[in-house]
Amino acid sequence: MTARLKPPLATRLAERAGRVLEFLWSGWAGLAALFLLAAVWQAGHEAYGPFILTSPQATVAAVWQLAGDSSAWAVAGLTLQRALTGFVLVGGIGVSLGLVAGYSPATMRLAQPLITVLMGVPPIAWIVLAMIWFGGSDATVRTVILVSALPVVFLGAAQGIATRDRGLDRMAQAFGAGPLRRFLTVGLRQTTTTLFPALVLALGTAFKVAVMAELLANAGGIGGALADARINLDIATALAWVLIAVVLLIAVEYTLVHPVKGEIDRWRRAAQPWGVKR
Amino acid sequence: MNVLALHSVEHAYLGRSVLKGIELSVGTSEIVALVGPSGCGKSTLAQVAAGLLEPKSGRIERQYRRHAMIFQDPSLLPWATAAGNIAFGLRLARLPRRQRAARVAEAAALAELEPGDLGKYPVELSGGMRQRVAIARALAVRPDFIYFDEPFTALDVALRRRMQDLVIATCADAGLAGLFITHDLHEAARIAHRVAVLDTYGAGVLGDRPLPGRPGSRSEAQVQDWVGAALSRDPLFRHIHDVDERQIA
Ligand SMILES: Nc1ncnc2c1ncn2[C@@H]1O[C@H](COP(=O)(O)OP(=O)(O)OP(=O)(O)O)[C@@H](O)[C@H]1O
Ligand SMILES: [Mg+2]
Repeated sequence: MTARLKPPLATRLAERAGRVLEFLWSGWAGLAALFLLAAVWQAGHEAYGPFILTSPQATVAAVWQLAGDSSAWAVAGLTLQRALTGFVLVGGIGVSLGLVAGYSPATMRLAQPLITVLMGVPPIAWIVLAMIWFGGSDATVRTVILVSALPVVFLGAAQGIATRDRGLDRMAQAFGAGPLRRFLTVGLRQTTTTLFPALVLALGTAFKVAVMAELLANAGGIGGALADARINLDIATALAWVLIAVVLLIAVEYTLVHPVKGEIDRWRRAAQPWGVKR
Repeated sequence: MNVLALHSVEHAYLGRSVLKGIELSVGTSEIVALVGPSGCGKSTLAQVAAGLLEPKSGRIERQYRRHAMIFQDPSLLPWATAAGNIAFGLRLARLPRRQRAARVAEAAALAELEPGDLGKYPVELSGGMRQRVAIARALAVRPDFIYFDEPFTALDVALRRRMQDLVIATCADAGLAGLFITHDLHEAARIAHRVAVLDTYGAGVLGDRPLPGRPGSRSEAQVQDWVGAALSRDPLFRHIHDVDERQIA
């Protein structure tokens, strides 16, 4: 009998290709939903006229025009950079604090009221404060992203650790794992159940808050472009920028978050009945 | 010679005493069954003996090289395949990847797992197969001592018998020593060399009885007779079927 832990490379590649195809296939449903939205949009356009709501077609044309403009790419790139760095910042800080709180009930009890306070303060207040502290810079946007998305990431990580299966810890200990290795081999992995939804939420918040902070702090980027569009009463361009922000978010989510989640949650798929996978 | 010896071991959970004055020893290549009513502290005793819990007082001598543990629920990592789970102990022992595969295959064969099942995740396995994976995971680290904490209680009668036979073949016949915790006297009489009884309130090991012959060699009738005699005539076993959950409060 040949001793192998893993099936041969070809099989593994085939399996992975299969998963990618399945994933793309599931995109049809998403596409259908998007076209439904476009139809409602078109209806709104026909009811209220182009000055209130430009047609989806005109908006896409505006996006197309922006796509040919290199300065527009720089604008979008700036927002993307700010949203991503803010997301990485909040991910790093939120996950580390959350893990500590998950293991230490005392920290959790201390943190809980702080989290409530943090969630109670409206993001707009943070924008004002950050503008005073940092002016219209990247730091303003990142700070606002950090405080807005911190509670959800923190709680996601803390919950993951706090609700872990203690039996697995005991098992790992019985096989000679010290506290650090227990955390690395069984603890960390169990947080993904609650951490991933939290990170997806945080990513969305990062983009929304980045645009909002840019607009209010007059810090350029997509938010700045939206402010200009408002001044010019240019609905088509405004909607085009909204569309671009959404597309950026979707692109990041599907290239960054979902592939990682798919790899990590492979075992969960094994539990699903065949029909649910499609 | 003893591979495991507990001397006047005491343990308390948050000040509430669970074990007191425990004297217990396990000899080379000996499997000792520990029986006692539910909640009397058997699991606690195993965890103290294995070093997972620090005893409040007392002395524990471990002469074995390496132990493994099999729990009541299989405690498998849901995100790892059967092979990954079997390799878990080896990974912790930092065995090189190359050797791991061979050891996993060897342990899986001992636990009578099909090679085709090794790529499956625990959710795709039946209860019996999961417990086999747990047994294989324990055997993979090539222990010379195994702690069993009521590993087969959740399985049905037929499956339990097959698992017991598996333990007899892979542990008792292979010369491993072990502490087999159970509250099923019949199971104890099949698997062990000796049966020890823990007090209902954890206040010491009340005594022990040797079993005739070797674990694999006893016939079903012999086992039945021994259990029947023990329950009807031996005062040591009078209380082992007492069930009183209220005592726990
Ligand atoms: N982590 C814990 N904290 C506090 N008390 C505990 C803990 N674990 C067990 N106990 C208590 O210690 C006593 C002994 O528990 P233990 O699990 O060792 O019993 P057991 O003999 O293994 O029972 P069973 O046969 O039902 O598995 C019980 O009264 C239980 O309530
Ligand atoms: Mg127990």
